[in-house]
Amino acid sequence: MENIIEVQSLEKVFANQTALEDVNFHVKKGEIFGFLGPSGSGKTTTIKILTGQLNQTSGKATVFGKPVSGMKNGESRKKIGVLTDNSGLYGRLSIYDNLKLYSDLYGVTEKRIDEVLAIVNLTSEKKKVVSKLSKGMLQRVTLARTLLHEPELLFLDEPSSALDPVNSQHIHEGLRELKARGTTIFLTTHDMNEAELLCDRVAFLNKGQIRLMDEPGKLRKQYSDSTMTVELKTNEKVVLRSTAEDAQKMFNYMASNNVAAIHTNEPTLGDIFVEVTGRKLS
Amino acid sequence: MTFSMKRVNAIFQKDFRDISRNSAVSITVFMPLIMAFALGKMNEDISIDGHYMVINIAMVVVGSFIQCCLIAEEKEKNTLRGLMLSPASTLEIIGGKSLLSLLAMIIIVVISAMLTGYKPENIVIIAGAILLTSFFFIGLGTLLGLLAKSVMEASVIIMPFMLIFGFGSMATMFADKYPILKVMDYTPNAQLADIAVKIESGVGLGGVWLNFGIIILWIIVVFALTVAVFKKRKMD
Repeated sequence: MENIIEVQSLEKVFANQTALEDVNFHVKKGEIFGFLGPSGSGKTTTIKILTGQLNQTSGKATVFGKPVSGMKNGESRKKIGVLTDNSGLYGRLSIYDNLKLYSDLYGVTEKRIDEVLAIVNLTSEKKKVVSKLSKGMLQRVTLARTLLHEPELLFLDEPSSALDPVNSQHIHEGLRELKARGTTIFLTTHDMNEAELLCDRVAFLNKGQIRLMDEPGKLRKQYSDSTMTVELKTNEKVVLRSTAEDAQKMFNYMASNNVAAIHTNEPTLGDIFVEVTGRKLS
Repeated sequence: MTFSMKRVNAIFQKDFRDISRNSAVSITVFMPLIMAFALGKMNEDISIDGHYMVINIAMVVVGSFIQCCLIAEEKEKNTLRGLMLSPASTLEIIGGKSLLSLLAMIIIVVISAMLTGYKPENIVIIAGAILLTSFFFIGLGTLLGLLAKSVMEASVIIMPFMLIFGFGSMATMFADKYPILKVMDYTPNAQLADIAVKIESGVGLGGVWLNFGIIILWIIVVFALTVAVFKKRKMD
């Protein structure tokens, strides 16, 4: 499958501080790639380099097969959408007027404004003035603006950080639809549930270095200790391994009708991150 | 570099909708008119310097001060970054962001001139000179807006420039005592006033070409700096 993003030995140094060090990854066409890490790990710096807002110190980064320095021209900009944590919306204008500006800049029809408003669940709010919106609504308007021109590649920096569960779910459905239509998504988040739900592959970034990269399912299997916890009706909890002895124990609990619940002990991405980096994702 | 009038117009229309809800800017726009009205009422026979004091203030307030604040607000609210990440080119963004201030400045200058009763001998040359000088003031406002981090900072850093380019020509009265002040004769506003004086004395275009040249030189310098700073601001 075609690689949309390719990054080799990427390094970024600010003054004397290394923000990114020997970062290597690629993102395939139509893939949702999760870039996971705590605040200050280098996620936003990577997005800024890939979208031509920041020059790398060394290394190679290409988007659509071209060096990222070429991302500054208008035609390349039409192929990408960038959602950052800072909304950049005009507070005195309505949601619709904000989107109208960008529909004109990108040369898309006004009908598309209604389509993106539906995706972010804001159709009935489009006449509201942006300064009166909640943080979650602002995030949804920014996402709508990012999706206006149907970019082939989306950079989403913490897309659902300010959203309630209902709207997060709505946005996740929208992102899955985009993926189904072939849009490539580069997603940074420190929400492990979001990453598990959406991403085809994830990379763990810690202190500017990629520590682990694979499919979430494979990582969970790799870091699983192959145990399960059985809750007995006597309120006792028993951890069982996949051994003949523990299989016999399990048989006995079931035969005596003593099993209240069974839990697999597969680690979450958050658990794996802590194990690999020794840091929590917050 | 691409140039799409549609994109320039999109930014202009956005600014027009936005500014109508920005009471601070809306009020500031009318300040030169109040001054022009007062001067027109106080004095029946206003000198050419009097007319150009009002015109200069209109240009520096509407062209530079408001433009500076509009650009600084875009930076402060992070909306300029949104425009920079869109397909709009540097020229389209600067053009679109300047159009409203330019139109407002021309309208205010024309109304101010009417209120003070200014009737130039050669309207075509004077209109050309005012339009040209307007580009300088817009460029200056854009440049300072890009350098400022916030609207508050913009409204402070523009002050010395407003004094120099708005009232600087008055300083030449003290040039005998302080020869350095002679340099104020070469500012765009001083050149504009000089063109007006020459035109009133019956001089044609041939007699003011050097003044036009000096103004054009200022425009080239200010826009070269503006484009350079804008491109630098595109990168973090």
